[in-house]
Amino acid sequence: MGFYAVQSLNALSFSMLLLLTGLGLSVVLNLMNFVNLTHGSFFLLGAYVGVYWLASGAPWWLAFPVAFVAAGLAGFLLERFPFRQFYARTHLMQVLLTYGLSVIFADLMRWGFGAQILSAEIPEALRGVVFIMDMPFPIYRLFIIGFGAALAFALWFVIDRTIWGAVVRACVTDRGFVETLGLDTRRIFTAVLVISAGLGGISGALGAGILSAYPGLDEEVLILALIVVVAGGLGTFRGTVLSALLLGFAMTFSKVWVPEFSNVVALAVMAALLVALPEGLVARKVRQV
Amino acid sequence: MSSIADGTGRVEARPASERRSLPMTAKVALLALAAAIPLLFAGDYQLRFLAEILIIGTAVLSLDLLVGFGGLVSLGHAVFFGGAAYAAAIAAQTLGADVVVMLAVGIATGMASALLMGVVVMRTIALFFLILSLIVGQIVWEVVFHWREVTGGADGLRGFPVLTLHTGFATIPLNNGVALYLAALVLALAAYLAARSFVTAPIGRALLGTRERQLRMSALGYSIPRIRLMALLASGAIAGAAGALYPFVNQYVGPNAVHWTMSAMMIIMLVIGGVGSLYGAFIGSAIYLGIQTYVSSYTDRWQLVVGLVFVLTVMIMPKGVVAGLKAAFGRRKDAEGRS
Repeated sequence: MGFYAVQSLNALSFSMLLLLTGLGLSVVLNLMNFVNLTHGSFFLLGAYVGVYWLASGAPWWLAFPVAFVAAGLAGFLLERFPFRQFYARTHLMQVLLTYGLSVIFADLMRWGFGAQILSAEIPEALRGVVFIMDMPFPIYRLFIIGFGAALAFALWFVIDRTIWGAVVRACVTDRGFVETLGLDTRRIFTAVLVISAGLGGISGALGAGILSAYPGLDEEVLILALIVVVAGGLGTFRGTVLSALLLGFAMTFSKVWVPEFSNVVALAVMAALLVALPEGLVARKVRQV
Repeated sequence: MSSIADGTGRVEARPASERRSLPMTAKVALLALAAAIPLLFAGDYQLRFLAEILIIGTAVLSLDLLVGFGGLVSLGHAVFFGGAAYAAAIAAQTLGADVVVMLAVGIATGMASALLMGVVVMRTIALFFLILSLIVGQIVWEVVFHWREVTGGADGLRGFPVLTLHTGFATIPLNNGVALYLAALVLALAAYLAARSFVTAPIGRALLGTRERQLRMSALGYSIPRIRLMALLASGAIAGAAGALYPFVNQYVGPNAVHWTMSAMMIIMLVIGGVGSLYGAFIGSAIYLGIQTYVSSYTDRWQLVVGLVFVLTVMIMPKGVVAGLKAAFGRRKDAEGRS
């Protein structure tokens, strides 16, 4: 019993990382209709920033805001050029542009940070384990669950319940109309992209504690986040949460039950989901004509 | 929501070559001359390299059928190519490496994986298609990577019998650069002609229709899943034929041949060469592999160079380098004419 409780918590902490990364991706995809495959690079950048910050001896909790700022700044610059030119283009062109950029960033980061695996030094306050039904569980993972849940809730609240969120959602529906109300939609889009990139950075810094930071992590994370966002269904917050939980639990428990074929099983679960529901878990109603 | 499909602009099903002024015979002669030049000047290593360009270019050509004409951006295309490469490599160890048998094995494997992929992805489009093909591809990669007894796992397979061609009189070994280059050349030419006849045939026009006006096509009574499945099968057959020869060029096939990054690489090649042009597949493959081979001998940062070339292509010449250069020259000529 305790074993499964701990494994569930493991799955939950991994789901939370997937959710945070996926949310960053889905905010841009759903609110700006922009496919941003450089999101994995933001994650890896955040992870490197986290690793170096935690090793530097500065106050540990600042690592996360710093990772947010670093990735957000990268997002800000990229939004200026060249993302902005591609908002009106098709998804294919956006995929191509951002994938190409992610190849460039992957190589730049390999150049700058080296090819070795850098593991993060977990801060004193979060080290150690707690006992859950007599089974040890790392405090750091509990921290990920709590921090991630708080962040995801805050994001949902801002987008769904505040006037700022309403403005952003209005931009999706009718950008011209929002302009006539005297709001600069370009600045709104910039803000959304910066927040998304920052979220990627924070997830990276959080994830560095369990995943470390190494070249190639950006692609692995990007693929998982893409699967989460797309399998959840485009345009829904609920769907992203559900599919992050599904993938997180599928990956964790398939490692427990069928260790050799864990990824096959987890991927097959997601494939089956998309075969059964080709529009994702929660489909948006779209008029075809 | 814009579809992921229609990014390539309008692609005429009629290849650009037919509209040019040179007569057909002259073009064929020019092409034959161009193909003969490497035989005179290139060494064994370069000929093998050219064979690799042609083989991977053929796989990219098959991807162009899906992306350029069906608007189906697949991140699982490496399964058709790499799967066939593995099948040929495994079959060669028991059946011997007769080139006809290898091609048959490769084509059969390519079509079987296309059928499998087609059944799974049939109902999805756009981003959903992209992700589902990626997932299917990664499942295959996991199997290849972990099934050590058959696939060699992470090490891959190496050391195959010599590829041979049985003619009526003699058995010709295809183990030197010249023979491999010629074999790849024949393969590429046959694949190009097959792909061209596919896109000009009614099925090819119907495929364009499913990309441009999905709803109208189904209203006209076309079965969209069926058309897409046909396209996948044709594409799988061509990719499979290319995959069948691939292990024999470097005497090696590894799990990277089925990984999604291989599919992504093919998409990069396709975009550099020009989506929907068919011949662009070979140009893109030559540019990419050229950068990879020649830049990597000067610097470790060849991925940076590839990335930059790719991003610049997407930003400046979204229709590929050939169309982009043509447009640039055309503009200059116009300007001269006016002044």
